[in-house]
Amino acid sequence: MTDKNHSSADDAALVRAAQRGDMTAFEELVVRHRDKIYARAYTMMRNEEEAIDLSQEAWVKGWQRLKQFQGESSFGTWMTRIVINLCLDALRKQKRQRTESIEEINEESGGVERQMPIVTVNPTAGLERSELRQRIDRALSQLSYEHRTVLVLHEFEEMEYKQIAKTMNCSIGTVMSRLFYARRKLAALLADLKKQDK
Amino acid sequence: MMEYNQQLKLQAYLDGELPEAEAREVANWLARDREAVALLTELRNTRQALAGFEAGFRVPESEDFYWSKIRREIERLEPVEAPVRPAIPWFKRLRGLLIPAAAAAVLAIAGLVVMQELGLRQRGTPGEAETALADAGTFTYRDFSARATLVWLTYPAENEVAGEDPIGTMD
Repeated sequence: MTDKNHSSADDAALVRAAQRGDMTAFEELVVRHRDKIYARAYTMMRNEEEAIDLSQEAWVKGWQRLKQFQGESSFGTWMTRIVINLCLDALRKQKRQRTESIEEINEESGGVERQMPIVTVNPTAGLERSELRQRIDRALSQLSYEHRTVLVLHEFEEMEYKQIAKTMNCSIGTVMSRLFYARRKLAALLADLKKQDK
Repeated sequence: MMEYNQQLKLQAYLDGELPEAEAREVANWLARDREAVALLTELRNTRQALAGFEAGFRVPESEDFYWSKIRREIERLEPVEAPVRPAIPWFKRLRGLLIPAAAAAVLAIAGLVVMQELGLRQRGTPGEAETALADAGTFTYRDFSARATLVWLTYPAENEVAGEDPIGTMD
């Protein structure tokens, strides 16, 4: 249980206390941000167990590196970057262990998305929030990790192309290409799910 | 059919990644190209659909259980802090050695001075002569300034007969 005195403190005060070794202050930070950190891990990994493990690993790393946190960004953003890096490492390891499919090679060369018909009707219009989440969840699962990651970094982390390129160790052109494919593929998948409903 | 580069430019326009002049060009292009408008609408709808997607996620574990695993791992990885001896700079270590060495040197000098003083005092005194009571023929003289001891032995000793061989002769 976290210290009751901590619940009224802001993040900056909790970080300062945690930097002095106060673990109850750190626990309060975990309570506040754990859902966001877990959500980011889950969106990237698409696996509940892996997302729990990686998010917990991120918190452990956060504690170990807490003295390096100088407050350049918010604590939540700082923690999110830690979990993103851990997920990227895990995904790269997974990718090395499996061979690329022909579809993935096509995606990388950036040719498929040009032939996709434009989805003229908004496939998510009128959907309940929970239903929309489920559909997006299913659609995201069908993207390769590179496309999904670019989408996550851009849409959820609000990173610019340049920052994404640095994080993913690729060119800005590759980022633009992957983002374009991811969006177009997602639109097509959501449209398919809408058709299946009818 | 739009060029691929144009499609990417349209996306960059949506994401606010274009310089002002290029953004104006795209805006003009959109005013006269329905296909470009349709693609931009699709990209925008997808972006809007994703907004707030992560907000509904909850860790599927209780607060205490989730934290307990983190705390255990932190405690496991943190070494038990041994009392850390502060690092002593080399000049302080040298000073630590010099102090007893200097004290020893001072003592040695003081000892020498004392001994010299004693020597000077002794230099002023004349030599000491003594006669061994056990042997009246033995006379000892000590000169402290020269640090010399002279012992005179009368030969033959007064209690012996002169010319008498104590061992005896061979013949």
